[in-house]
Amino acid sequence: MGRAVAVIGTGQTKHGRRPDVSYPDMVREVIMVALEDAGITLKDVDGVVHGTMPSMMEGVSSTHLYFAEAIGAVGKPIMKVETCGSTGQSIAHCGFFWVASGMADIVLVVGSEKMNEGDSQATMTTVFDPYFQRVFAAGAPGTFTMQCMEWMYRFKIPEDKGREAAAMVSVSNHDNAMDNPYAHIRMKVTMDDVKNSRIVTYPVRLLDVCPSSDGACAVIFASEEKAKKICKKPAWIKGVGFRGEESFFGESDKSIWPSATEAAQEAYRQAGIKDPLKELDVAEIYNPFTYQEMIFCECFGFCPRGEAPDYVLKGTFKKGGELPCCPSGGTLCTNPIGATGLIRLAETVLQVTGKAGARQVEGAKIALSHAMGGVDQFNGVTIVSSNL
Amino acid sequence: MQRVAITHVAQSPGVESKENLHDFTYQVNREVLDKAGLKRADVGCIISSSADIFHSGLSCANAFDWDGIGAFMKEGSRAEESAMSFIYACFRVLSGHFDTVLVTAAIKGSENPDNDAITPFYGDPFYLRPVGMNESVVAAMQMRQYMDRYGITEEQCAKVVVKNRGNALFNPYTHIRKRVSLEDVMSSDRIYDPLKALECAPKSDGVVSVLIASEDKAKKLTDKPVWLSGYGCSLDHFIPGDRNLLDGQLQAAAGRAYEMAGISDPRKAIDVAEVCEPYAFQELLWCEQLGFCKEGEGGKLIDSGITQMDGSLPVNPSGGVLAMNPYTSRGLYRIAEAALQLKGQAGEHQVGKKVKTALAHSTHGFGGQCHSVVILSA
Repeated sequence: MGRAVAVIGTGQTKHGRRPDVSYPDMVREVIMVALEDAGITLKDVDGVVHGTMPSMMEGVSSTHLYFAEAIGAVGKPIMKVETCGSTGQSIAHCGFFWVASGMADIVLVVGSEKMNEGDSQATMTTVFDPYFQRVFAAGAPGTFTMQCMEWMYRFKIPEDKGREAAAMVSVSNHDNAMDNPYAHIRMKVTMDDVKNSRIVTYPVRLLDVCPSSDGACAVIFASEEKAKKICKKPAWIKGVGFRGEESFFGESDKSIWPSATEAAQEAYRQAGIKDPLKELDVAEIYNPFTYQEMIFCECFGFCPRGEAPDYVLKGTFKKGGELPCCPSGGTLCTNPIGATGLIRLAETVLQVTGKAGARQVEGAKIALSHAMGGVDQFNGVTIVSSNL
Repeated sequence: MQRVAITHVAQSPGVESKENLHDFTYQVNREVLDKAGLKRADVGCIISSSADIFHSGLSCANAFDWDGIGAFMKEGSRAEESAMSFIYACFRVLSGHFDTVLVTAAIKGSENPDNDAITPFYGDPFYLRPVGMNESVVAAMQMRQYMDRYGITEEQCAKVVVKNRGNALFNPYTHIRKRVSLEDVMSSDRIYDPLKALECAPKSDGVVSVLIASEDKAKKLTDKPVWLSGYGCSLDHFIPGDRNLLDGQLQAAAGRAYEMAGISDPRKAIDVAEVCEPYAFQELLWCEQLGFCKEGEGGKLIDSGITQMDGSLPVNPSGGVLAMNPYTSRGLYRIAEAALQLKGQAGEHQVGKKVKTALAHSTHGFGGQCHSVVILSA
């Protein structure tokens, strides 16, 4: 089915607050890192895919035009793909299909966000339609909190147990971020720190929530022929899936989140994965909220519905556990939205190629990356492997 | 290599829609599936094209569009500009992963402010926006340069409006269906000198859906598949002052498309062209860069009558963007119209000559910062 496609290079900026560079300079920084990692130059690139979260964040419409020079796309074919928070996975999928189609051999995919120069909660509120939902939208936390309450209620998870497990997710992600030189928030937190941090939207507390980060990520896709020529250790794309639900938040059951479930199943089907908990070596989940990471673990088939808190509490998803989730520290510690989904992919590429440094999961060969977007509406999943 | 074809297209009527965006989109989407005899479940993948917040009042507009385009729980994605969406859909079919992909572009311009109030947001907030740059201002500068350098006259530019608005009279799917004379155009308000009001595209509602399929599937779905034979795209520098506005990236984009399609003499090989001309003079400039005439001879081209509906190379028989400008959808409209000409289903605006190869062009950004060229063949 189509041509095999590999990732031959990745790049990330140092994420966090970046007043030291302009937005285009930050984007330029990341493509140079990715090109160097792949050992190619811009001349070798046949096409460029760009995406950010919605352009209200940039305050510039059609951001690919603004970043023409920064993304190295002058004189090249360009694709602008954008699906809200899931942009990072969607641009990766576009790069994958572009190469798989045979219409390009090497495609550079760039995602970016400079959240500290925009108003992210105001921007996210404009994702809601202006008639019914926007009037009571309260940015991202309101939506995600309703979802986590729905989930706990649906599966009769006692609130203190949910609280305990969510705190452990936070501690584990923050611990992991200490090993990741690119991460934005790098600090040790304890269970008590999380449980005593200030309430954002009950029961979600400050340390259950991701930061607003500046950052960019670039990933280079290549055909089998080119990848084998250029790259000693490519990571092969084995499966991609993307699904979306209704735009009205209340119309679908977010406690079992069909789009997340089916996007993963689609990717598993392509990759031939039947038991993800056993077969996957590492997962990079888009977890802007601790509770959501647990819902995702259930949707992706890592554990039965309603049992994620038990699995978290026994350490299944910690580093050293059966299926380490977010050894990078995840979205919880770094969230430049338009780049975040692509960072998840880049991190899995580093894992399966053995280049993840201190956060390396020993012997990782096959990994899942993911991003979520819209009003809890879109989910994209990509499976990479060290084997063709 | 796998081949990919357009099997069916559907468009919204050119009038301003009273439907909400969900229903407006759904109706056109439904129509294209009915034409193909397919159900939503039969379609492999759905790609949408929708504006960002500046043209729609919605961030991540595909989140809102998702229901109307029939994408609920289906594989899908979104590219911002509609020619990009079309080509992304082609990638998906050519990759062998999907047999059918439905591409839908939707916008309700009637619910938004004027284009000149929105296009300043193409500019960066530091250098371009504070000095009042918008799409029309850059176009006016481009037009002035074009006239000065090549001796193109204002009348020659105005003739494009007369031609395209004349063609639009025969297209029930276009927005402005009212004949204008050369005098009307020349005496209309100078909006940005030398650009006149009637030389600027209107602002329109428009939903267009295109169903594309793999070779095997296309042959089953229709006896008149329209094949993708060439594609090219190229992006220019951001700041208009950093570029040569009269020699941008269109030649590069067209060159790629012609190379893929094996075309060496576009003037002979192309039977009909749908060119994206939000400003009248741009049709002449783009025609030069597409290789339909020599550099600086766009004026002579319109004078010769070749690009008229009954000429040897009709350009914009649909009426083009000057008659209908659904901003982000306009590229896919060009592609759909080119496909209809190849299928011989353009109705009253079907060109007189036999159409074997058609060109569709789309552009966005100041002064044509990004160009896409698609070659289709019967």
